[in-house]
Amino acid sequence: MATQTPPSEGVVLFHPHFAGHDQISARTLGFWLYMLSDALIFAALFAAYGVLNNPMGAAGGPIATQVADPVEGFWQTCAVLGSVATYSLGTVALKSGNKGGVMFSIVLAILLAFIFLGFEAHDLLDLLAKGDGPTRSGFLSAFFVLVATHGLHMLFGIIWMLVMLVQIPLFGFNANVVARLLNLRMFWQFQATIWVILYVYVYMIGAF
Amino acid sequence: MSAPHSDPLAHPEVQQGNALRYISGFITTLLLMFAALMLTIRQHLPYVSYAEAVTGLAVLSLVTQATLFFGLDISRAHIWKSLSLLLTIPLFIISVGLTVWMFQSLATRTMLMPAGMLQQPTLLQ
Repeated sequence: MATQTPPSEGVVLFHPHFAGHDQISARTLGFWLYMLSDALIFAALFAAYGVLNNPMGAAGGPIATQVADPVEGFWQTCAVLGSVATYSLGTVALKSGNKGGVMFSIVLAILLAFIFLGFEAHDLLDLLAKGDGPTRSGFLSAFFVLVATHGLHMLFGIIWMLVMLVQIPLFGFNANVVARLLNLRMFWQFQATIWVILYVYVYMIGAF
Repeated sequence: MSAPHSDPLAHPEVQQGNALRYISGFITTLLLMFAALMLTIRQHLPYVSYAEAVTGLAVLSLVTQATLFFGLDISRAHIWKSLSLLLTIPLFIISVGLTVWMFQSLATRTMLMPAGMLQQPTLLQ
């Protein structure tokens, strides 16, 4: 039978006056942990892609060398990194409470994100037009789902930025808005991180 | 982590924003990806060496992003984020690596493929 050892005397387990995490830190840590779990969704998709990226998975259809262009992928890399850097610079303007600077950065970040999504949509629609859609083969299913899942994350980030463009003039930089802006910075930087893995794994190594 | 201020803009995570760091992160990551692109286009290296080189550049790029974009370090403000990331990375690698390895083993033992297909490089070769 299991027994529980009583805590040693003198050990302080908690203190009623300990401030703990403040509101903003608790929210950013919680969102960070959510993003790490989101990364494991991408791990599953990368695994499926790795398994199906072979001629058997392609079932006579195109393989990675025929659907993933590393040069075009590099322009997407420029767009996504540019968008992340722009938004991050906006949070530098946040330090001094510069509403105009933050909002201008968000608008630029949205524009660059649309350029990224434009490249991605062009690629996927081009494949669909050729009859090489996600139902053509297991490989194409994995490719479409992987690329589109990242694209959906980007789209969600754009919607989040649009919401912040409304909330900043409406509420100012109160604790809630600031926490959301910080979480959005992490979320946006996370998209660049996932894209770098996707670009190297799919557009470079996968298509070599 | 407790902030004695009532002004949210004085919060350490807000004050952490640094233009030089973000611009350096952008340029460094872009240069690393450009180097990887050149290796891909020129195709001078055999597949395994190429995959190792490009993976190395990607790892450098991710470290750059973690330090310059996310601003992660082992300070009191960031230790839990850094630690949780370090604990998640092996899960990510194990998930992808072991899944691909298992199916690779399965394919070579059960699939009847023409000889040419078996010689096709895969992500594990």
